[in-house]
Amino acid sequence: MGPLIPQGYITGQWEFVIALLIGAAFGFLLESSGFSSSRNIAGVFYGYNFVVLRVFFTAMIVAMVGLLYFDYLGWIDMSMVFVLPTFLAPMLLGGFIMGLGFVIGGFCPGTSYTACAIGKLDGFAFLGGFFLGVFLFSEAFPLFEKFYYSGDMGNITIGEVLHVSDRVVAFAFVVIAIAAFYVTWLIEKKVRANRTESKFE
Amino acid sequence: MNKNYLFLSLLMILLAGGLLLLPDRTNYSQIPPEDLLWDIIQPTRYVTTEQVAKMIIEQDPTLELIDVRDADAFKAFSLPNAVNIPLDSLLSPNYSDYLGIEDMNAVFYANDDMLADQAWVIAKRLNYSGIYVMKGGLNCWIKTIIQPAPPPETASLDAFDLYDFRKGASIYFTGKTITAPKSDNKSKVIVRRKKKTKATAGGC
Repeated sequence: MGPLIPQGYITGQWEFVIALLIGAAFGFLLESSGFSSSRNIAGVFYGYNFVVLRVFFTAMIVAMVGLLYFDYLGWIDMSMVFVLPTFLAPMLLGGFIMGLGFVIGGFCPGTSYTACAIGKLDGFAFLGGFFLGVFLFSEAFPLFEKFYYSGDMGNITIGEVLHVSDRVVAFAFVVIAIAAFYVTWLIEKKVRANRTESKFE
Repeated sequence: MNKNYLFLSLLMILLAGGLLLLPDRTNYSQIPPEDLLWDIIQPTRYVTTEQVAKMIIEQDPTLELIDVRDADAFKAFSLPNAVNIPLDSLLSPNYSDYLGIEDMNAVFYANDDMLADQAWVIAKRLNYSGIYVMKGGLNCWIKTIIQPAPPPETASLDAFDLYDFRKGASIYFTGKTITAPKSDNKSKVIVRRKKKTKATAGGC
């Protein structure tokens, strides 16, 4: 049955409407999960709040397992789902820079919008920096264009690289996620016990 | 630790573990038989050799020619810009990207209609759209485009127009030169020139 647009069940003109609805729902969930607070987000790096890790890991494993069941039941054709191409070295550097922005600014691009939506000044400051960064990146793009497109590995998945099925990868990720939940819970407990400046729960 | 978290973690492990126990899906999703039968009887699933020739000449970007014969036959002769997907490899994941491209018209062809029709039915059953068969295959291509036969003198004007197009296409695909019909009894062209008249001069 799915994906609906490539299969022609609904026309491509609906893309923006669907994107708007999903975007609004995503923003609402981010805000209601407490992601509009930079303390919650930066907490990952200081070890007192792992809500970011928990929320995103949960979303990932639920989507992974759910999509594989959908594929098995014939509700979605996974071969038609777009897989983002991998450029390993540029993506590693990009991830590092984004992590740096995360810990310095206390937001990621999406959460800065949720912070702006509820009128937080630090959110607006972050967004200003965000647009400045986009502008500088675009202007300086010819300087690192070669690196940006280097190491193209194509539309590959982890399963294809490791020569295992997607189901094994999904199972491994669920185990890793649950182990991460437990370990971060222990770290959180230890760090919070030593903290005096703020209380939790 | 909250008991709900333990329960949810256990549920996720069970669901993910269940994936490992599921058998592989081998049945492809297919369109209902009545839809397939309806599509099979539609004459619109065929394109003529002239239509294909016109699209090639016009370099139509939406045309995707798929040669379903084996690799040797493809090497020996094929249409310009065609891709070779032998019929027995049509379901191979290596070739799945060639079908179902939005706004593209995939035209199957072989030596005759047989293999191309089979490829069309397989692709249609898998619910691909924008797929066609070149009517008559390469045999018809040779007969109509490469070596077109002139229509009888009593044929309609449309038949002569079609013949003209085929002749033009033949020149395009084979690189033939246009040869004017030879005739032995050349008639001499007599050029008659008018005597120049003097401009009237003088007058009153």
